[in-house]
Amino acid sequence: MYYLSIGVLVPSLLGLAFVLPLLGMIIKNIRFFHAYASITSLYALIVAAYNFNIVVREGPKAYPFGGWWPPIGISYEIDEINSLIALLTASVMFLITLYSAWYIRSLKDAPYYYTLLLGLEVGMLGCIYTGDAFNLFVMLEVMSISAYALVGFHRNKPEAIEAAIKYGLFGAVATTIYFIALVFIYASFGTLNMADLTNKVTLFWGHNLVSGLYYGQIYAATAVALALSLWAFTFKSAIFPNHFWLPDAHPEAPTPVSAALSGLVVNVGVYAIFRFFYTIFNPFSLMSDLRDMILLVTLILGLASGLIGAFMMVVQDDIKRLLAYSTISHIGLVLIGLSIGSSLISRPDSQAFVDGLTGAFYHLINHSIGKSLLFLASGVIIYMAGGTRKLDELGGVARKNPVLGIVLITGVLQLLGIPPFGGFFSKYLLYVSYLEAGAPYISVIINIISAVSLLGYVRLLYSVFFIIPKREFVRTSRLPLAVLLVLSVACLITGLLSPIISYWLRGFVEATTSKDGILNYWVQGYLVFWGG
Amino acid sequence: MVRRMNELNTFLFNILLFSLFFNVGISLYGIFARPSLIKKIIALTIFSDTANVLAIIVGYRGWPSPEQPPIPPVITSTEPTSEDLIRFINRAVDPLPQALVLTAIVIGLAVTLFLIFLTLQVYRLYGTTDVRRVARLRG
Repeated sequence: MYYLSIGVLVPSLLGLAFVLPLLGMIIKNIRFFHAYASITSLYALIVAAYNFNIVVREGPKAYPFGGWWPPIGISYEIDEINSLIALLTASVMFLITLYSAWYIRSLKDAPYYYTLLLGLEVGMLGCIYTGDAFNLFVMLEVMSISAYALVGFHRNKPEAIEAAIKYGLFGAVATTIYFIALVFIYASFGTLNMADLTNKVTLFWGHNLVSGLYYGQIYAATAVALALSLWAFTFKSAIFPNHFWLPDAHPEAPTPVSAALSGLVVNVGVYAIFRFFYTIFNPFSLMSDLRDMILLVTLILGLASGLIGAFMMVVQDDIKRLLAYSTISHIGLVLIGLSIGSSLISRPDSQAFVDGLTGAFYHLINHSIGKSLLFLASGVIIYMAGGTRKLDELGGVARKNPVLGIVLITGVLQLLGIPPFGGFFSKYLLYVSYLEAGAPYISVIINIISAVSLLGYVRLLYSVFFIIPKREFVRTSRLPLAVLLVLSVACLITGLLSPIISYWLRGFVEATTSKDGILNYWVQGYLVFWGG
Repeated sequence: MVRRMNELNTFLFNILLFSLFFNVGISLYGIFARPSLIKKIIALTIFSDTANVLAIIVGYRGWPSPEQPPIPPVITSTEPTSEDLIRFINRAVDPLPQALVLTAIVIGLAVTLFLIFLTLQVYRLYGTTDVRRVARLRG
């Protein structure tokens, strides 16, 4: 009745990750760890692709852990959107792990590095697959602790330690705040299972529930819980008032980790916002007015972080910091697209609603690929330029290496949104959706964000590509360039196949956010186990 | 007598809730405003402990009556009769928040240990744990 592959991926990957420090005591050959980590993340990619295939063939599926059926035990549930994001995460993480073999070739701590990197992957996949709000908290912590440790991985570098402690301290506050939100949810609904919560908030079926019905003042408790959990999710995805840690943390991490943090970890917060405000507290729920207000707030926050990220990008003189601010700007754009579901902006079944969400997820994919490409390329650039991160000192590195130059231009055009690449089509969808929704000023602001960020990208391209190189650079090996080429081909594919991709994504969004889709999420996550 | 007991119960419960939210305020002040990293970490542990107590309170059952206080969620007989089960359902506290808190405590331990290690490393590198002086030393 249920597929083992849904549940087995995260625990088995966790086991494979945490056996590494023990292996590190026995095996001293560093090549073994490169191979081990690559094979492990390839395994994660294969299972994630298999899960995606299950969803495409048969729709949402749940896996109850330990044979305890959903509202009692923990369950993982995959549907179209989260299996797609998990597939994206696993594939980009696979490339990042391959690249790591080049990046940490001389590091003695390879087992620990790979433990943390695979731990980060486990946390992200767990957050994405989970069908249980408390398990989301646990997996957020697994992801966050790995991320804090990876940010401070160069532990004798003062800036890295300072960035890690800033990220870690406030990250711990954010996840504890999410825990308080869960306490409110549990106190008023008596359950933490997402499918069960969806039913109780929407009331598809109101009698003979395993976990009772409502307790106390659900409206007030839900308002508090939503506000608190939004704080935690915006922290994890670095949306405007909670973005302060990102420009310090992302550049100080080892470069492959910067790519994982900027390209993938921020997606988890966005995905959690989607799961909370489109599936659990969906447009058809009893408390949809609360949800409308919250989505209006996220719209404003998205606009603010889009603008702030774009403006701050322009004044940076550090290549990794520039890319980190660009992450804030792009996640702001994704959040603008996600906020279209507020009934103050568009109706749930309208064209604008579907276009906005499609654009948001399309942009999420484009940004993940483009941003990890640029961060990995910046690692090669910094290596070739002899360890400096200052834009002024890079002095035309890319001219010495044509492959690097092509890859860099591909990544910049992808993020900037120039037609043959995917970034254009996703920004266009976001733009069109707000025009359809009758809010043209937001479309204009989306254009302004792109236009301002152009200045930042031009600075980047100028310093690494348009300056005539005057000095010698270190030569680099083939492995990182191969990874970069794969990613830039992916950029091109997201652009050239945009009619197909947007058609598929539109189908996924409609299947996930329509009333039938939400009902199906509950049926597959709850009712099938109780013989319904 | 019973009415007095119920009033006292409500009063104590309200004091508890008030002090919990007061605690949240104090600990957030400690995390965001105090300059010492050690004090920030202490405030963080106070904050997470407050959240844990809040979770335990949610699982707590108001006294069914002063003569019948709530019992731990453990069935004591190996072959429970239906009377045992009825008594259990009517009086036992909710065990799920306790399981959640156990998980949260373990996670909190890991995070706290990691932050303390980072603080030690900050002290080794900068010679201070005062964030204002760390910011000045960094330039």
